[in-house]
Parts: sequence; structure tokens; C-alpha cells
Amino acid sequence: MIKIKLVVTALLMVTLVVGVLPVFAGCGTTPPAGNLTPLLIGGSFGVTGAYPEDCLAVLAAFQDYAKYVNDNHKLASWVGAPTFPSDIELTVVSMDDGGTNTAWAISNYATLKAQGLLVQRISGSAIANALKATLAADQVGATSQASGSYLLSAAAVNRTIFMNYPIYTDQGASIAEWFVANWVAGGNTTPPNVSYLTNNTFGRTLIPPATSALQNYLISLGYNITGTHILPAAPITADYDAALTACKNENANLTLGAMLCSESEPCMVEAKALGMGPDSGYPGWSYNITFGLCSPSHLNVFLRDKGATCGNGLVVAGSYPSWDDTCAGVTFCKLLQTTYRPSAQITHVMYMHGLVEAMIQVEAMRLAMINTGKTADQLTSADVLTQGFRMITGLDTGGIVPTTITYDSAGDVEGAGTVRLDQAQGGADLVLGLSYPLRHLYP
Amino acid sequence: MSLARGTFNQSYAQDMAILRTKTQWVTLLAFLAFLFTCPLFIGETWLTLMIIIGISVISVQGLNILTGYCGQISLGHTGFMLAGGYTSAILCDKLGFSFWAALPCAALVAGLVGLIFGLPSLRVKGFYLIMATVAAYFIIAWVIFQSYGGAFGLTAPRPEILGMVLKSNASYFYVVMIIACLATLAAANIVRSRVGRAFIAIRDNDLAAEVMGINIWAYKLLAFFIGCVFAGVAGSLQAHYCGWASIEIFPFLDSIWYLGMLIVGGMGSISGAILGAVSLRLLDYLVTIAAPMLAAAFPAIAPQAAASLSLIMRGLVIIVFLIFEPRGLAHLWERIKAYFRLWPFSH
Repeated sequence: MIKIKLVVTALLMVTLVVGVLPVFAGCGTTPPAGNLTPLLIGGSFGVTGAYPEDCLAVLAAFQDYAKYVNDNHKLASWVGAPTFPSDIELTVVSMDDGGTNTAWAISNYATLKAQGLLVQRISGSAIANALKATLAADQVGATSQASGSYLLSAAAVNRTIFMNYPIYTDQGASIAEWFVANWVAGGNTTPPNVSYLTNNTFGRTLIPPATSALQNYLISLGYNITGTHILPAAPITADYDAALTACKNENANLTLGAMLCSESEPCMVEAKALGMGPDSGYPGWSYNITFGLCSPSHLNVFLRDKGATCGNGLVVAGSYPSWDDTCAGVTFCKLLQTTYRPSAQITHVMYMHGLVEAMIQVEAMRLAMINTGKTADQLTSADVLTQGFRMITGLDTGGIVPTTITYDSAGDVEGAGTVRLDQAQGGADLVLGLSYPLRHLYP
Repeated sequence: MSLARGTFNQSYAQDMAILRTKTQWVTLLAFLAFLFTCPLFIGETWLTLMIIIGISVISVQGLNILTGYCGQISLGHTGFMLAGGYTSAILCDKLGFSFWAALPCAALVAGLVGLIFGLPSLRVKGFYLIMATVAAYFIIAWVIFQSYGGAFGLTAPRPEILGMVLKSNASYFYVVMIIACLATLAAANIVRSRVGRAFIAIRDNDLAAEVMGINIWAYKLLAFFIGCVFAGVAGSLQAHYCGWASIEIFPFLDSIWYLGMLIVGGMGSISGAILGAVSLRLLDYLVTIAAPMLAAAFPAIAPQAAASLSLIMRGLVIIVFLIFEPRGLAHLWERIKAYFRLWPFSH
């Protein structure tokens, strides 16, 4: 009994004592050697919480990219990439915000700002909504892992969160355009039916209200909007059956939604069991439906986890390229990993996202120095925002983002100019088309 | 309450007093002085942590009254916080109320919502009541999602005093701590009143309580109302701290963690609610430090370690306390004090 008491008391003491450790741990940075001027990049990352794999990949990309720029003094490995001053050393700072913990994100923002970080980053939509007013008031630019239309609700001068792929409504519109073109070309004369099908975690933020621009655009394309259904974040047979059966009862031909985790992708096995599914070549389909997903879904995540069961009808808008792609951006990612983490390479697609975010932050600071004539240690966050982020024009990401990235002071914070569509066919990634323009559909 | 050696109660007032001796008064005042001078010497991270702890204390005190004192187990507490947070945001964002007017309205609305979902407690108890309260969370979330703000949420501005917006963490810290202290005092006074004794009687044996003449119907609903009022206050504070009221900042899992805080701290104890909130929130913070270290040390399992460490640690602590110290930290503290009261002559 005494031993048990001692164990419990010791556990409590350890918890209390270790809670004091942060006083000494801190998150300070090591000053650069020699005459190099330090410049911080990074921000708040959700390395614990619901999506650590994604955020760890993003953080790893930041770290590798900073090392590359410090070693090579240029922004990318391909010919024509801008150079970066050799008297500046980039250092990545990171604090954990749990992915969705807004209180931690608010605290991290203040701490990192006090440390001299001139930019910030957003891990998720909850944090974006919580911080956007503060970032605007403090004139701090931030790169973002989130891409919701809530980032466009403020006036142009207050938009300080910069995405690198179009918002989900524009992506959904592209899927709808692609589908209706194929629908008509296939000889169908009746209007196609579309249903929203999405998971709980992110999907709720992606279901537009009835008066939204996306809703109106779908109707203008000739769609009937038949319903909205929520799938669970983890596959539970009964819930899948209910949602999929509802789509079938509504005669839905296309579903639009977003699912971050492949576990919550419309379960093709369940769809097959219900006698419905995309045109995957399986015999005996009694009902054809195409599942369309918008960012932050990524097709290569689904293909990695689901393979051939994705069928031929899973269409994803806003994906990054697969690791087999030969574009310069993917080659650069591989170069970074073989150079800086040869024994612990990361295959998660969000490594590419991290690279793009890091490139945007560094480019913003590079442009700010050029446009203001200030040195790195004289820059302010307002300089980086107004003379950096908003001046980025034609930033080449080597094909990771389908177009070069351009922002402006008139409120364009989406970055990419077109929507990339990918379709799963036979377990492989097929690029459908890259030239779907943004329709700028903001609810 | 165990008194120091040589201290005896000679009147009812002394017997009922929360703080009886000068030592207790001095200790409390010293603690309050330390608490309210904290912002002068702690950093932003610790201020955030203490704000989160303060909000948790308010919420857990409410849950303590409902579950700890009245025995009505609720796993929908975050739903009532959500109701309070959204009410406050609607009043401030859409109707132009000030925070100080919206806060009591949020508390009242959350209390009324709690009354509605407390009705099942009149017919069911135990596991079935738990399921009813779980349903309460999802029903509240669904109603809010379908109507006000929807999935996008609502802006919840920071409070203002005399035209000054309390933007900084330090200023909001004072707001939260003052309200947390008032909530703790209110909870302490409720439980030592006639109402509190009725709650305890219902918890211990509701049939015997009814036979004694206690109106079970009224007091159970009152427990739900009071508990949810506290939740509404906590929800309003949380929404205004985050600047945004959304379902995402009031997840269902938090209901389980609040109950866990009560278990760890000690059910049926005002100090237990505080100890539980402090210890589990500190544990959360410890995890944010330990998880990246663990991920760096074991890269092969880094994402899994980072994702699961928080859940594992919280669950482990709750299980350890359920097995070895079911009456929580408050009881453990009382035993430690009792041990040293007669030390070295403990036997």
C-alpha cells in the first residue's frame, strides 16, 4: 500500500516538476556563426493532435529547404531560380499548436512574433479563423495549410493569409465543369444530379449554404443539387451505407466534398457492396457515380492507402503531383531528401506542400529586402507583407503547384491560377487537365 | 475540514466557514497575490496555459456540482459550453452586445439548454443518462451547425473596458482568473448550502432522499441548470479568447477530458476540480514538449507517437487514479496533510 502511495505521489511530482521544464526548455534559436544575419522562417505546426504526419512532413520540408538555401544561396535547384543573399542564414522556428488548438496557436503567434519571426503559418481552418483578424491588425503575412473561402471574407487590405492552391469552392466548380462536359459528351440529355458527400472533420466547413456562389454556379451548369451527406472520419459500415444509399436514392451522379484522411474516402468496397460505384470496369455495377474531392484531399494519399479500390471514378482537385512525376519540383524534393535526410526520407505528399510554403516565405522576405532596400535585420512584418507577399509574381514551384504563384494587393491570396484535376484509374494517378480556371466562388 | 491542532469550532458560523484559521486566510491571500501578479513575470506560453486552466476550472466546477455532488454523470458538458459560446458570439457579433452583457446571457441560455437535456435524468440514470448527455452534445452541435453561423462559425470579439479592447493575453488572463475565482466561490457556497446538501443526498441514495422529502425532480433539474450555467460561462470565455465561436473549438472529446479532470482531481470536492484541471492541462503541455523529443528520438514512429502521446498519457493518468486513488488528488492531499499533522507520531 505504501509503495502504491509512493508511486502515485511520484507520478504527481514528476508531472508538476516537468511542467516547470518549459521555463528552461524554451524555443530559442542558436545564433548563426560568423557574420551571417539570422532570418527566421516557419511558425506554428500541428506536430501533435489529429494530423501530425502531415505537419511533421511540412516541418521537415521547411528544415531541408532552409539548409538548401543556406548552402546554395538560391531558391531552388533548377536553372533560373532566384538567388538569395549569402550573408543571411535561414533558421526554422516551430511551435506546436496541435493542428486545431486555437488557444495554443494564439499563444504561439505572440511568442514567435516576440522572437523576431516576421511571418507566420496556419495549420488549419480553426486556427485561420481565430488568427486572421489579429494577423490583419498586426500586418503579418502568413502561409497557410488551409484553403477555405473564409480566408477571402475580409476586405482585400485585410487578407494576410496566403494559400498555394485554390479554395475548395473553385476546385469543386472545376470538378463539376469536367463532369458535366463528359456527361453531355456521353449523350445524356437529363440534368446531372450532384450531392455533397463529405466527412465530419473538414466537410462541415465545405458544405456551402443554399445561397452560396458555388450552389448558384452548379445550378447554372445545369445540375440538380439533391442532398448533403456526412461520412464519418473513420469508416463505420452502417454510416457509409446510409450516406451512400441516400446518394443512390437521390440518383446522384456526382458527389462533391473533401476528406483529409483516406480512411474517410467514400469507401469503394461499401459502394460495391451496395451495387454502386464509379465506372471502374468491375462487372455488375447497377449504378454509376463519380466521387469528387476537393483540397485538402490529395489523390496520392488515397492511392497509397487504398490502391486499386479507388476505382476509376475518384476525382480529386488540387492534388500535388505523385512522387513518380518527373517535374522539377518533385525532383527538387527528392534532392533535398537525399541530401539532408538520406536515411529517413519522407514520402508523405505534404512534404511538397511544406516546400512550397517555405519557398513562399523565403521569396516574400527576399522581395521585401529588394523592394524596401532594407537588410534582413531591418525588415518588419509589414514590409514582408506589403513589399514581399503581395509582390510575389510568377514564383515557380517546379510544377508542384500547377501554375506559378502570384499574389497581389487587390486581394488575390489564392496563388495558383488554375485547378489541377487528377483521377484514380487502375490504382494509378492520371492527370486529367490543368487548365480549369478559377471561378472565384466565395460563399 | 480538518482543523489545525488546538483549533476548535465554538459556533455554527465557525463550523460553516470556508476559511477558518488565520493560516488559511494568509495562504489564500498569498496565493491570490501570486496569481494576480503572474503576468508580470511569466511568458506568453504560460499565460495561455493559465487562461486555458482558468476556463477549465470554471467548466469543471460546473461539472463537479452536476456529477460530483448530485451524481448525474454528464458526457455532454462541452455541448453546453458550445451553447454558451455561440450565444455570446451571436449577441456580440450580430446584435452588438458588449461582452459583459453577453456573458450572463450565455450562461443563462446554457443553463436553460441544460434544463431541457436534464429532463431525461428524471427517468433514467447511470449509463442511460450518460448516453442521453452524449446525445445532447450532438443535438446541440447539429442545431448550431444548421442555423447560426453554420460551419463557418461566428466572430467573438475580445471584451472592452471603457473603450479599451482587452487584446493582450495578460488582460484576458485577469478576466478569466477573476471569473474563475468567483465561480469557485459560488460553487463552494452552493455545495455547503441547503441545495448542496440535497444534491449530496440525491447522489448518495436518491430513493432515501425522496423519502426524506427532497424533491428529486426539482433538485436534479437545478443541478443541471447550475452545472450548465458554469459551462456557459466557460464556453463564452473560450469563444472570446479564440476570437471565433465554432464547433471545432468545442470538440466532443473535451467532455470526456473534463470528466477525467474531475476523476483525477476528486469528485465531490471544490479543490479537486481545480487540482484536476491544473494537472491535466499541465500534462497536455508536457506532451507538446515531450512529443517532438520522442518523434526526434524515434523517427520511425514519429507521427504515431506525436498523435497518440497526449491521448495515451491522459488515459493512463485517469486509469491510474481510478485504480489507485479513486478519490483523486484532493483526497490524496488530505491524507498527506493528515499524515504530517501528527508526524512523527502518526500511529
